[in-house]
Amino acid sequence: MSTIVGARGPVRLAGVGRRYGARGPWVLRGVDLELPEGRLVRVTGANGTGKSTLLRLVAGVDAPAEGRITGRPRGTAYVPERFPPALPFTALGHLVHLGRLQGLTTAVARTRATRWLERLGAGGYAGTALSELSKGSAQKVAVAQALLAEPGLLVLDEAWTGLDEAARAELDRAVRERVAAGATVLFVDHDPRRLAGEADTVLRVADGGVGPGPREQGTVPARVGAKAVEPGPVRVGTKTPDPDPARGGAKPSASAPVRIVASGTRPLPGVLPGGAAGEALGDGGGTLFRVGGADSDALLRVLLDASWHVHRVEAETGPATGGGRG
Amino acid sequence: MTALLRYHSALFLRSQRWLAPLLLYAALVAVGVRPGDPVPGSLGIAAAGLVPVSAWTVRIFLTQEPAAARAVVAAAAGRSRAHLAALLAGAGWAVLAGAAAACAVTATGGLAGTSGPAALLAGLLATTACALTGGAVGTLAARPFVRAPGWSVAALLLGSLAALVTTGSPAKHAVTALVADGGGARPPWAACAAALLLAAVTATASRRAGARLE
Repeated sequence: MSTIVGARGPVRLAGVGRRYGARGPWVLRGVDLELPEGRLVRVTGANGTGKSTLLRLVAGVDAPAEGRITGRPRGTAYVPERFPPALPFTALGHLVHLGRLQGLTTAVARTRATRWLERLGAGGYAGTALSELSKGSAQKVAVAQALLAEPGLLVLDEAWTGLDEAARAELDRAVRERVAAGATVLFVDHDPRRLAGEADTVLRVADGGVGPGPREQGTVPARVGAKAVEPGPVRVGTKTPDPDPARGGAKPSASAPVRIVASGTRPLPGVLPGGAAGEALGDGGGTLFRVGGADSDALLRVLLDASWHVHRVEAETGPATGGGRG
Repeated sequence: MTALLRYHSALFLRSQRWLAPLLLYAALVAVGVRPGDPVPGSLGIAAAGLVPVSAWTVRIFLTQEPAAARAVVAAAAGRSRAHLAALLAGAGWAVLAGAAAACAVTATGGLAGTSGPAALLAGLLATTACALTGGAVGTLAARPFVRAPGWSVAALLLGSLAALVTTGSPAKHAVTALVADGGGARPPWAACAAALLLAAVTATASRRAGARLE
């Protein structure tokens, strides 16, 4: 389930503004933003500042009242915070419709829908009418529809709300898989611990504009080496190398060594990217790979392609043993 | 587009929202048309009855999805394409119901001086003209233009009436060609083409307006 998304340009917002109604107040205005592929982007901001509006614009749910959005990939998926069960379909029937909308054949859509419902712990509800589902189970259907067709752009508006613990962890995992496969994932969640330290870029929505958010404490992001290009007035906070030393990002973290803990049964290629070698951890704790930051993306792709399960991606804290300059 | 049409239609059929407009149409045709009446006039009445029915059906297709479901579909298939598919599916089902009625009217009516196929062709063209004109009315009377349900229904009724009596309306021309013509059913090609143009223009306006009005 981790097809590499083909090379494409970034999703680009140029001078984008949005208001509800022809004379309503502007919720967002003059937003210039670039969202490159393979990025996990967290959107922060107080209630009612326009986080959801930004997400809806990026996902293509709403059209901008002014400005342009370009480069949205063919496969785009959106998960709303609350999914209405007021549709006359079964869970599986609805997912098959949504799969077909995203270009899958009926047979493939059915297979993947069943698999995703099982992954999210809702396999038993496949034949249940949406109107009879609990809020959490309906939310699982909303999450499943977004992951069916391996979207190149995934937009999650508090998608975790209402999910049980296991399903939340599964969604975290699915997000990491999509990012590793080259997809852009944009999310809002009220829980600051959600994917804490994993976001490559943190955006802050305030006063009708979008700016760089606070840097997250914690691990080095899984995606390193990708440069942020942000023309225009909006500067986007990013944890990737920052060309402006005044902003404190002068260290070339692209080559900082990274520890990846993963587990899987399928054999891996003999030579791994960056010359990484697996090191078994005790107690079934998986396998530890140490790799230079520049090669971490390639290694993650190899692992995910082999259906390995990536547990953690974190900064090398001890002396560097990978190829990094640290 | 096929997947979108299928999705919208499945929603329409499974939710039983099709029942009320179909019953209205059946009632209009049953009241207006008697077996044995001259076929052209009956075809004209059946087509005229389709105007409010088609407007209603298109409005149902535009409003039947909960907002969150519409958002999910818009991301997956494109906001504008999903909107267009709803319009097409709504008008399509109206044309289908009208075509069935035209066939039934031609089969049961009195073919005084006209051939069956010629009358049927004229009837199908008038049906299409009326379904598309009604569809244009429904498009303009629903989101994103009119969102309050009360105003929407009022606009729907008044718009349908206006479409049937206003000079220049394709529906009026198509119906007049059948009803007023003394037995010879001339196929209303021009009215059908005009209705197609009208439907295309309103559909484009509706798709564009979403960005500003919603």
